[in-house]
Amino acid sequence: MNLNTNAESQNTYDAIVIGSGISGGWAAKELTEKGLKVIMLERGRNIEHIKDYVNANKELWEFPHRGRRTQQMIKDYPVLKRDYPLNETVLDFWVKDKECPYTEIKRFDWYRGYHVGGRSLMWGRQSYRLNKWDFEANAKEGIAVDWPIRYEDIAPWYSYAEKFAGIQGSKDGLEVLPDGEFMPAMELNCVEKEVKKRMAEYYKGKRHLIIGRSANLTQPHYDRINCQYRNRCWRGCPFGGYFSTQSATLPAAMKTGNLTLRPFSIVTKILYDKDTKKATGVEVLDAETNLTYEFKAKIVFVCASALNSTWVLMNSATDIWPDGLGSSSGELGHNVMDHHFRAGAKGRVEGFSDKYEYGRRPTGIYIPRFRNIYDDKRDYLRGFGYQGGAGRGRGVEVAEFTIGADLKDALSVPTEDWQIGITAFGEMLPYHENKVTLDRNTTDKWGLPVLAFDVEIKENEKKMRIDMMNDAKEMLEVSGVKDVETFDHGYAVGMGIHEMGTARMGRDPKTSVLNKYNQVWDALNVFVTDGACMTSASCVNPSLTYMALTARAADYAVSELKKRNL
Amino acid sequence: MDRRDLLKSIALVTGAAVIGGDFFLTGCKQAGKSEAGFTPDNIRLLDEVGETILPTTQTPGAKAAQVGEFMKVYVTDCYTQRQQNAFMEGLISLQDSCEKMHGKAFTDCSETERKEFLISLEKEAKAFNQKRDEEDKPTREAHEQRNSTLPWKDQTEFEGSPSHYYTMIKQLTLLGFFTSQTGMTETLRHVPVPGKYDGEFPYAKGDKAWAE
Repeated sequence: MNLNTNAESQNTYDAIVIGSGISGGWAAKELTEKGLKVIMLERGRNIEHIKDYVNANKELWEFPHRGRRTQQMIKDYPVLKRDYPLNETVLDFWVKDKECPYTEIKRFDWYRGYHVGGRSLMWGRQSYRLNKWDFEANAKEGIAVDWPIRYEDIAPWYSYAEKFAGIQGSKDGLEVLPDGEFMPAMELNCVEKEVKKRMAEYYKGKRHLIIGRSANLTQPHYDRINCQYRNRCWRGCPFGGYFSTQSATLPAAMKTGNLTLRPFSIVTKILYDKDTKKATGVEVLDAETNLTYEFKAKIVFVCASALNSTWVLMNSATDIWPDGLGSSSGELGHNVMDHHFRAGAKGRVEGFSDKYEYGRRPTGIYIPRFRNIYDDKRDYLRGFGYQGGAGRGRGVEVAEFTIGADLKDALSVPTEDWQIGITAFGEMLPYHENKVTLDRNTTDKWGLPVLAFDVEIKENEKKMRIDMMNDAKEMLEVSGVKDVETFDHGYAVGMGIHEMGTARMGRDPKTSVLNKYNQVWDALNVFVTDGACMTSASCVNPSLTYMALTARAADYAVSELKKRNL
Repeated sequence: MDRRDLLKSIALVTGAAVIGGDFFLTGCKQAGKSEAGFTPDNIRLLDEVGETILPTTQTPGAKAAQVGEFMKVYVTDCYTQRQQNAFMEGLISLQDSCEKMHGKAFTDCSETERKEFLISLEKEAKAFNQKRDEEDKPTREAHEQRNSTLPWKDQTEFEGSPSHYYTMIKQLTLLGFFTSQTGMTETLRHVPVPGKYDGEFPYAKGDKAWAE
């Protein structure tokens, strides 16, 4: 091992941020804006805003395989190939599976982005607040442990995060889906408006169809240009039309002059001083040179994405706690959650043949949760929300054995009718036995031990999936949708790409890893603010909550630093 | 319309899921040869077959979209070895069958003869694929049964027998054409940067569909 020991002074910062995705970017922005000298450590390569979005302006015909996948890609990406992420247009943005293996005791689909910006470049951008019931449910139902915070604690930070990130959406006045600080909403199309109206009538205001709230700009915002309706977000947006580290938090942090960004820096452990009971810094393995460095700081923000944050903790302070920093509660690595989905319904809508869409809207519709709230009671806990949309497909009503001009003409026009489809995203409960552990017998490209996954959905989720299909069918049918078919495309944990839990927040160091300000109980100057901290999953997309929790924790960290408490 | 719509409509038109690049769950398939054995003559033939399926009308057809060249790339890179073999052997069968039906090479046939021949091939393909599905069924079920007894990491993907070669050619003609520059911009309408969204955009019967 090569230790760069004479560089202590130049490797000392006020704060270290591990990871540069949604949470890491927010940590870097908040801490630098408050005057701290920060180093942001990213394990992968740099991706420069706009310049490195190499496929952003390519048309489909410029891809040799027209955006599809080759046998070589299937061979090279044993995990990514399991779902849509593997395709020719975005290949550069996903981790090379073979360099970073992991162990599946049970199947777990782990889609990772190891580069500056992390998955903020490829995220779905759906942005929702958790509601007050989400924070109370564990305590009320006796599930896992209670959240140490309530909606009121995070609400101002949601506002703060939304104002900076730029979230478009409608204010709907729903308790189940609190309103936020929104930019003007994107428009529902004519079919969605009609279904919304019919649903509201039938359910007498108890179920709602709204525009999917998303981190896409509908107005210029700072140096960013509003969405141009190309719907190619996942290739990187040359307009900065959606929130990412590159478009939003990184430029803000850079502007302060206080940020150092170091790509190719795999944090292998947090350095812990047992006398002060605090972290002193981190150890970094340079992914290109394999040299080892140490960086020192007063505080460490762990934002490496849920499971990798936990991996870093598991590798840290093992001389004191064999299972790692934060493991004293026995909960580190436990309570893995995701959102289970891919079940819903779809059908055909008649009567709108004189209407079409112009532009490619980068969001769809959202139907907030209605199960197990107010007087509704099901034979499972929690609930689900739906995402989907209506659109007009292309000519598929072609008679058998048609070829020639007739076939070409039929395929060149839209279908007579519109189609609508909705897919539910369901809450997964935190189960102690759903866990990740370190597999020291398997190593990655750099010789580091990998995670082993032992996670599954259980009866509660399986019961919910039946409602997820049947409720979708009912709602579409009562709204006049024809030929409604339900579907369950099957779900493997991880496919939601919403990994949560493994270092949960709580009220008691004996049963949780983090306190109410995301501090590791066993090292108060270490903050974990990404998906790892989640005490329960809610059913809404989680990224906005990470933004809010990160900003809140950064604010607290700096105030504690000023009081010399850290 | 997006690519999923395109794949769906190709599947509906050809009666089979689009071959190549499926969401394989487990196992590593043997990738195809780097040179699948395409010759300039093959490519010309495929352009002509493609042109019969999607001809030049008021807008350019499959030949202008170079679907033959596209098929070479796609079959070589995206098909499994088994699918590749079926495709390449199919090119020989296609020529033989045409000789049998019309007593001449496909490229020497009139437009009417070509259409007549391809419609007969499509009927043959339909029967072939149905029989294949029936024959694969017990093997597939046995495979799934075996998988269910194995630990997750030892499970393998079932690879069914390839579709009829004409199904492949027709699918690739549609895929190649509607993702080509001419297909997307001349036969369909394409706006790279729409700049706005209108969810009640007027539509008159016969107006072209949007590409991607």
